[in-house]
Amino acid sequence: MSNAPFDEIESELAKFPPAVMDAYRESAEAMETSFSPEELALWAKEGSAIAGQTVRSWESAVEYFRVCPQVARSLAFPSFMQWARCGTYLSQDSPALAVSFFKASPAIVSNLRPQYIPRWAGLGRSLYKGTWKSSTLSARFFEVSPDMIRSLPFWDVEVFASLIEALSYKSYDIAVECLTLGKDVLPVMGREREAFLAMCRALSDGNWREVKSCFEVAPKALQQIEEGQTSRFLKLGERLTKVGIRDTSRFLSDGSYALGQVPQGSQAHILDLCEGLLAVTPEAVPPFLKSLDGVMHRVTINQLDTWFHHGVQLLKDNPESGIAFFKVESNTSESLLETLSSSLELDRVKGIVRLYCRALSGSPIEALSTQELVRRNIGWVDQDTATTDGTKVFLPPVVDHYQNKEQNFSWFKVVATHQVAHLEFGSFDYDFDKPALLFDEERRYPLERELGAQQVNDDVLVGDLEADGQTRAYTDIGRFLSLFENRRLAFDLFTVLEDVRLDYRIKVEYPGIRQAAIDVQAQALSLRPEVEDLPLQEALIELLIRMSLDHFNNLPVPVDFQEEATMLARILQVLRDASANVEDTAEATLRAYEIISRLENETQPEDQWEPEDMEEPGDFSEDEFQSLLDKLQASQNSSGDAGEGDPYDSPEPVDYRGDFKPEMVQLLTKLQMDQNQQGEGEPLSQEMLEQLLQDSAELELDAEQGDINNSMSTFAQNIMKEAGVPPPNSQPGQGYGPLLHDDDQGGELEAREPKTYVYDEWDFRANDYKPRWCVVKEKTLDEGDPAFYNDSLKNYSTLLSHIKRQFELIMPETFRKIYRMIDGEDIDLNAALEAAADIRMKVPPDEKIYWRRNKIERDVSVVFLLDMSASTAEAIDEGRHTVDDRDAPDDPVEYMVWLRRRREGLVRRHYKRIIDLEKESTALLIQALESIGDNYGIYGFSGYGRENVEFYVIKDIEENFTERIKRRIDKITPLHATRMGSAIRHAITKLENQDSPTKIMFLISDGRPQDRGYSREGVEKEYAVHDTHMALLEAKRKDITPFCLTVDKAGHDYLKEMCGDMGYEVLGDIWALPERLPMLYRQLTA
Amino acid sequence: MVEAVESVESEQNEPQFKEYAIEEFLVRSEPYYRPVGDELELFTAAYNQHIPVLLKGPTGCGKTRFVEYMAWRLGRPMTVVRPVDSGRAAQELREGEVRVPLVTIACHEDLTASDLVGRYLLDSEGTRWIDGPMTRAVKAGAILYLDEVVEARKDTTVLIHPLTDHRRILPVEKTGQIIEADDRFLLCISYNPHYQSALKDLKHSTRQRFISVEFDYPPVEIEAEIVEKESGCSSEQAASLAKLGEKVRNLRDHGLAEGASTRLLIYAGRLMTEGIPARRACQVAIVWTLTDEPELQRSVEEVVSSIFE
Repeated sequence: MSNAPFDEIESELAKFPPAVMDAYRESAEAMETSFSPEELALWAKEGSAIAGQTVRSWESAVEYFRVCPQVARSLAFPSFMQWARCGTYLSQDSPALAVSFFKASPAIVSNLRPQYIPRWAGLGRSLYKGTWKSSTLSARFFEVSPDMIRSLPFWDVEVFASLIEALSYKSYDIAVECLTLGKDVLPVMGREREAFLAMCRALSDGNWREVKSCFEVAPKALQQIEEGQTSRFLKLGERLTKVGIRDTSRFLSDGSYALGQVPQGSQAHILDLCEGLLAVTPEAVPPFLKSLDGVMHRVTINQLDTWFHHGVQLLKDNPESGIAFFKVESNTSESLLETLSSSLELDRVKGIVRLYCRALSGSPIEALSTQELVRRNIGWVDQDTATTDGTKVFLPPVVDHYQNKEQNFSWFKVVATHQVAHLEFGSFDYDFDKPALLFDEERRYPLERELGAQQVNDDVLVGDLEADGQTRAYTDIGRFLSLFENRRLAFDLFTVLEDVRLDYRIKVEYPGIRQAAIDVQAQALSLRPEVEDLPLQEALIELLIRMSLDHFNNLPVPVDFQEEATMLARILQVLRDASANVEDTAEATLRAYEIISRLENETQPEDQWEPEDMEEPGDFSEDEFQSLLDKLQASQNSSGDAGEGDPYDSPEPVDYRGDFKPEMVQLLTKLQMDQNQQGEGEPLSQEMLEQLLQDSAELELDAEQGDINNSMSTFAQNIMKEAGVPPPNSQPGQGYGPLLHDDDQGGELEAREPKTYVYDEWDFRANDYKPRWCVVKEKTLDEGDPAFYNDSLKNYSTLLSHIKRQFELIMPETFRKIYRMIDGEDIDLNAALEAAADIRMKVPPDEKIYWRRNKIERDVSVVFLLDMSASTAEAIDEGRHTVDDRDAPDDPVEYMVWLRRRREGLVRRHYKRIIDLEKESTALLIQALESIGDNYGIYGFSGYGRENVEFYVIKDIEENFTERIKRRIDKITPLHATRMGSAIRHAITKLENQDSPTKIMFLISDGRPQDRGYSREGVEKEYAVHDTHMALLEAKRKDITPFCLTVDKAGHDYLKEMCGDMGYEVLGDIWALPERLPMLYRQLTA
Repeated sequence: MVEAVESVESEQNEPQFKEYAIEEFLVRSEPYYRPVGDELELFTAAYNQHIPVLLKGPTGCGKTRFVEYMAWRLGRPMTVVRPVDSGRAAQELREGEVRVPLVTIACHEDLTASDLVGRYLLDSEGTRWIDGPMTRAVKAGAILYLDEVVEARKDTTVLIHPLTDHRRILPVEKTGQIIEADDRFLLCISYNPHYQSALKDLKHSTRQRFISVEFDYPPVEIEAEIVEKESGCSSEQAASLAKLGEKVRNLRDHGLAEGASTRLLIYAGRLMTEGIPARRACQVAIVWTLTDEPELQRSVEEVVSSIFE
């Protein structure tokens, strides 16, 4: 082996200080194992090259030789040489730099991919600008590199280095400090680093001094921000920086503090707002965040939106006042917050209002926001006006009429009571043929006859008349209103007079809210227009409205029409009687109409008004009324045609009374009723409905507010949908494919495959079983994602804890002392004495003379059968939805958290289907059942045809609850039809094998049983019902307690027949399913 | 009400109780009962025909009061109460009177057959047979009223069955005797179908030995009359209370397990008679009694505050 190259190198090295040679020799020994001789030669040569770069390069070379053995362990020769050459270049620029580089290398090379080494060296090099300070910075960079490379991706190191470089142009000191801070701060930051660095980068161009502060505050600040929002927050900081907001570190600390204080889950929303604000006036963002905490203590997150948007509007007009607004340094801001914090959101009290309405009316009324009704688009348009459609009471989403929440709640109560009064005191029960109680003479029949005669005289085609009469008479109110020429006037009168009746009745029946009602009326009164400015007809109606608001004294009355006004007041007084009914209102309307319609609708001169007290106008008498009418008629005849003057305009509505639409309500009710009794009489067609709506005085009123005539057919369709009428052209039975009548044919079936079972089916016509008629195929449900299960538990966490508590209450019963046992913990003295006495009397004694604890073990086996029929795919009408407000916390902060969760829930619920609720209920139920340790199985069923009854195992009764079951729940999906009988029979088989003394079968369905050849709409519904009934009976005979729970509102029709005296429940409100199901089960087994 | 207060004063803290043997307890004065339907006729007919009666209905709607009233009515003309010794009373019959004692037993889950029939007791002289309340009622020809019968242990049905069919006998196993019931004996049980649970229900074999008289809360006008009469409050207050009862019962299927019973309404009325403000009286007597759930409480309170000033 030739030593020539080495000798040569050694002689080269000898030129340098001896330390170099020492280092070389020491290193060479260690290196021999790593590299081949040729490679070693190159290595040694590189060392001498390093040493030869500059005067002080020999120091670099010493360091080079020192670290080589370590570096060589991690790098292959080519990479090694690449690394060495990096050192050479560095040493060319600055030996000190190269020394730092080499020093850091052993720790680096093992953590960095070889191809990055030159880039890393380059980063250090880029910081060196030939000055002493820059070389210190650069050396510092190499010094901190090992730590950074170990904990950061290389990409981030590069970005960070470029930031440092940018800073170094401003100040080396700051750059060094940031470098040192960054080493510790960046690694803990996680994925948000990128955003943070970008923000700092933006900052380094402008207010570079801030960078250091940012590094200092960042770790603590970012902790307060929810994961996932941090980068958005930093991005916001970056954008603020870019538009020139200087105090970035303040933004970081204040902003993160503010975000840390908002309710969990709402940070994203706040950031949305901030981003919106950024687009308008960036300067407003920091003040907004700064005042956020204070503002959030006063208002809810919904109300915050209102406040915020108001501020944004201000900003657009006048940035300075806008910023003052966000600083809460302006009156506008302060007073708005004041109003908001005293306002009351319907959502918050909906549960209470709902129960209140239900209690008053005695029917399952829903309390909903008016927004809901407007969205349905069936003729109601005003968002802020309370109303009712007969089954639901709609209330405005927010009330802020008063300065405190109590008064605002009272307002809700008065409004709700008024709406419920329509139901409770029968506004919608108007019956044309029912006599009025307080008015003697009936004027509607003669009028109707007159009208009919008139129309025939007018030569109307007979056919048309019939059609017209038919549609008009569809509702009683419609029939009544059709008596009038000016239907709008008549309807307005009817509305006012009915409100008089109701408000009076409410005051009698509910003296407790009299004061609140008086307050609300007084407020309504203050908003009424001046009577004197109105033309005569309208003025008289306005007088009636004022009287309806309990304002009787000092009413301005036109001098020439004093008699008429007094007569109207008398008519009104008749209705102020607790026994008045809606038919009285109608009679009163007839009379008031006859007076007002005979007057000319002209504005009265200003001096023609006299204040009058109308409190006691005297009793109404038919004779006086008639003579007044005659007088009016006479003057009308003498003066020519009536109806001249201004066209009649409806009065301003009284806001707390809301929209009153009796005709629509009667229409909806009637449609629904017709729907439920198919086959009796001709159902209303869409064309007829449109005609009806066109005629309706109620819609006429609204037409001003929007072009409704065009959408009349949309209305009609929506209304029909609301009433549950099937869309036109759909034939019952369609959608189940061709009707296979031959399904009844055929014979017995065989269970050929494993896990299939054959069951009989009950034929009620033959009064016998069809033998071996159905094949049940048992399948284990596929496994999906357990996330659904976990999410359900999360979404219902409050309900879940409630349920668990309820179930835990069952437990103590099992720890009772049980007396009269054959053996046990101790002797039961009573029983023992009795036995002793028996023995003495030579009577065979009872040997059960012990007591024992915890002997009765709860031993219940239960099977849940879930309907997986296609109909469960139906989306649930959101309007039906009632959120469980019961758990609404009182504490404002907790409440906001809760509200937020619920709002999120609402968004999802848009797409919720019946099956989803079934699934969620299952998840909750499992939790409950696990907590008490009952033996349970959960199965789904569906199928098509008798040879394909599918029976899905979600949790077999023998199976333990595992992760797999959570996964299966996810896969519960709507499939085909519902042949309940066979599914029940198979469930019986499952339960039969259990030896618990208590066995329960729980059936959860969404409608009547149906399947091909099992139940065909309109053909043989009973068959399925009878078979199911029989299957349930079979269960009962086998000591299984069946219970049916259905979410089908029409369930009452057939469940009675299907379940007989076995337990069942029709769940009117499907949203209650997750809550109701566990509770029902508890009741059933407690 | 007023009379009772006076009598307490006149007797000056003398103990006021009276003691009767169980089968000697007669309903002395006419209990207030306001018939709603034909229940009086039905019960009388059943009594004459020896048909056991099952009273169904929610709690506090007047089942027990009805039985008391019937016991009084069937025993008319009035029995006379004359105190003998201290507190011990015997009731003498006048001419033409029938003795119809009333034995009421509230059933509970530990009530066994021997609690009803009787048992041997040990004493210094040996053993002694003691008749249970049922035996005594059978012997004395009383109306035996088993309240909430589903709560009793199943072995009691062994006793009920032979007593309730044509045999009208009570087998006393331990003494080896059979007691034929007195001609005036009638078994009457009550049952609240609302508590239905799969584990506790009346068996059909038992149910079908009785005629069933259904009770419910009376209609508003009648309830107002009852409340007024029973509590001594004003007729306006009584009418409002009855209205409240009606409204609250509307919530029975919407969260409340039971509606406000007539008894509770009467309690509220009594508190008002004593001068408690109406809203407060309703709160303690009705709202808080009915439910512990804050939202429901609040809702019912809102109804109360609408009805009462």
